[in-house]
Amino acid sequence: MKRNLLLVLAVMMVAVFGLCFNATAEEGVTDTEIHIGQWGPQTGPAAPWGAVARGTDAYFKMINADGGIHGRKIVHHYFDDGYNPAKTKAGVKQLQEEIGMFAWVSGVGTAPGLAVKDYLMDKKIPWIGPSAGSRHWIQPPNKYLFNTYPLYLGDAQLLVRYAVNTLGFKRIAIAYQNDDYGKQGLEGAQKQLAKSGLKLVSELPVNVADTDMKPHIMKFKKSKAEAILLFVGPGHVARLQGTAKAMQFAPQWMSTTTCGDHPLMMAITKGLYAGTISAAFGLMDPSAVGLGNKADFMKPTLPSMVKFKKDGYDKFAAKEERWGSTFCAGMGYVEPFVEALKRVGRDLTREKLVAEMEKIQNFHSSMGTVSFKPFDANDPLCRIGQQEVFLLRAEADGTSTILTDWFKTEFIPMDH
Amino acid sequence: MVDFLQMVLSGIAVGSSYALMGLGMVLIYKASEVPNFVQGEMALLPIFIAFMLLSTYGVPYYIAFPATLIFALLLGCFLEFAILRRAKEPNVLGLIIITIGMEMMLLGFVSWKFGADQRAMPFPISAYDSIVIGDLFISTLDMLTLVVALVIMLILFLFFRFSKIGVAMKATQQNENAAALMGIKTKQIRMVTWGISSMVGSVAGLLIAPVLVEPYMMWDPMLKGFAGAVVGGMTSLPGAVFGAYIIGIVEHLFGGYVSIEFKSVVAFAIIVLVLCIKPSGLFARHYVKKV
Repeated sequence: MKRNLLLVLAVMMVAVFGLCFNATAEEGVTDTEIHIGQWGPQTGPAAPWGAVARGTDAYFKMINADGGIHGRKIVHHYFDDGYNPAKTKAGVKQLQEEIGMFAWVSGVGTAPGLAVKDYLMDKKIPWIGPSAGSRHWIQPPNKYLFNTYPLYLGDAQLLVRYAVNTLGFKRIAIAYQNDDYGKQGLEGAQKQLAKSGLKLVSELPVNVADTDMKPHIMKFKKSKAEAILLFVGPGHVARLQGTAKAMQFAPQWMSTTTCGDHPLMMAITKGLYAGTISAAFGLMDPSAVGLGNKADFMKPTLPSMVKFKKDGYDKFAAKEERWGSTFCAGMGYVEPFVEALKRVGRDLTREKLVAEMEKIQNFHSSMGTVSFKPFDANDPLCRIGQQEVFLLRAEADGTSTILTDWFKTEFIPMDH
Repeated sequence: MVDFLQMVLSGIAVGSSYALMGLGMVLIYKASEVPNFVQGEMALLPIFIAFMLLSTYGVPYYIAFPATLIFALLLGCFLEFAILRRAKEPNVLGLIIITIGMEMMLLGFVSWKFGADQRAMPFPISAYDSIVIGDLFISTLDMLTLVVALVIMLILFLFFRFSKIGVAMKATQQNENAAALMGIKTKQIRMVTWGISSMVGSVAGLLIAPVLVEPYMMWDPMLKGFAGAVVGGMTSLPGAVFGAYIIGIVEHLFGGYVSIEFKSVVAFAIIVLVLCIKPSGLFARHYVKKV
């Protein structure tokens, strides 16, 4: 009798502990919650990009309001790193080791991301959708790191191709931010021009702290550049275009996805951005809008964007939050992650999440079509996610004219 | 030759905003013997107030700008009265730390209250129109900044030379104890000095703002103004102006002929050079403290 009682107790304990263990099997996952981490600058010089994290937050709140994912709510922990890699690392370690994140999403900037990449990868913690088009995310590829942002190299390829083949320009120059973002643009432009037997007529670095663009414009003017590629931030675009106007220099300006928020750019340049051609990789579908037609970012047409505006932005964004592409990108970068969470089902683990991420093929997110492949340490493309961009022209009324359809860019490996 | 002249002209244009910031710093240094690192943010908050008045409330320029400058005056007075004056027997390092603390508080307040988005401030003249002289260009905004800088220098000169309060300020700056013995209310004078400095810096800010308004916009002009003031001599108003123009011109010549990449750091190389050769700055008399 006593032995039977002990046996029953033992079975009960195994069952109880087994259930408990199952419920807390994976770090950051409970019966009712999934803890997700993110960093982003809410203060400091890069604070305008902080809207990415706020966009992700509104998106997760929208998902929770719709019932969550398989009975679990997403608990989104995002913190202000001020675009300071030391703060990024401290914040990520603190949240990971004190609360325990199941995964990390987005995260603005190459330098902050590089500060925590090894930490997250060593711990086998998934990190999905870094908010920067850096080759460091895919070369070498990491099993737990999934990129959803087309590389800046791709912007340069399509912009140069359009300038040379469609507009017939031979004299192309570049103003590039003196960091990974700008230097990728420089490299992409140089390699694309070389295919046509051309070289950049002027290549000028811009430091983040620079406010005076007169020397740059003087040099561009002297180089007789017909088109100038702008691999800089929105503020520097405003300064360069303003200075050029004052110095009566009017080349064709061509900018990147980072300056693709045309209503914002029109406002901060006081209209000088009109006519600028910029690359984009989502938030609208050029095929659906049609070449030569106008798209109005303020009136979204993509179903995912329409829903996000109504159920995410209108309900959960702060009153003073602007409906802009940076805010919306916060949703776009993590849509594949949410899709994988849904596919995994109730029994959520990091390994299962990675397995489902790898199965994502031709997934139509708000930020283009995303595909991954099973992990191959020798194939950076297994983690690139999205390689397509298209071109828009900013119009004076704040709308954008579609200039090209989706263009699949070529991956150019880093020289070691 | 045209390139050289254009670089010099552009250097003078950009040097004007540095000069105004430098003047503000020198005013406070002479009064409090502290390099004022809140100088940029003392202009930043008034800029955002002006932006709010113009963009949100549609207040006309002729009311918004004077109101902004009065706010700047009061802000400077408030910071001296409420914070700096409360420091007990502070040394220079302590005062510097206090100004850095105030800088962070004001920057944080602006970021919190107005957000981090970049904006363009309405302004009576276009920031992007230019005056053409032969083959040389100068934007109308730069020309206005140059004229305003010269006018403010003249006003300050006349103020210190002929007004009672200006003379009292000079006396307080030269010897506070002697000034107090002569019946000058030195604490009030110091407070007013902070107010005037804040107002001068805000004029520079209002002339920078038509290009772009953002929370970190005053950091670079403040550093360059500081560099100009150090080059000219922290106790010399004409020196600060001259130093700022040197910084502006050398920056442009360096950017044009040597390296655009290192254009921004050349100002600080000049500081090191001047401090090695003439530690008190080019225009200030060598400072010897009697003990």
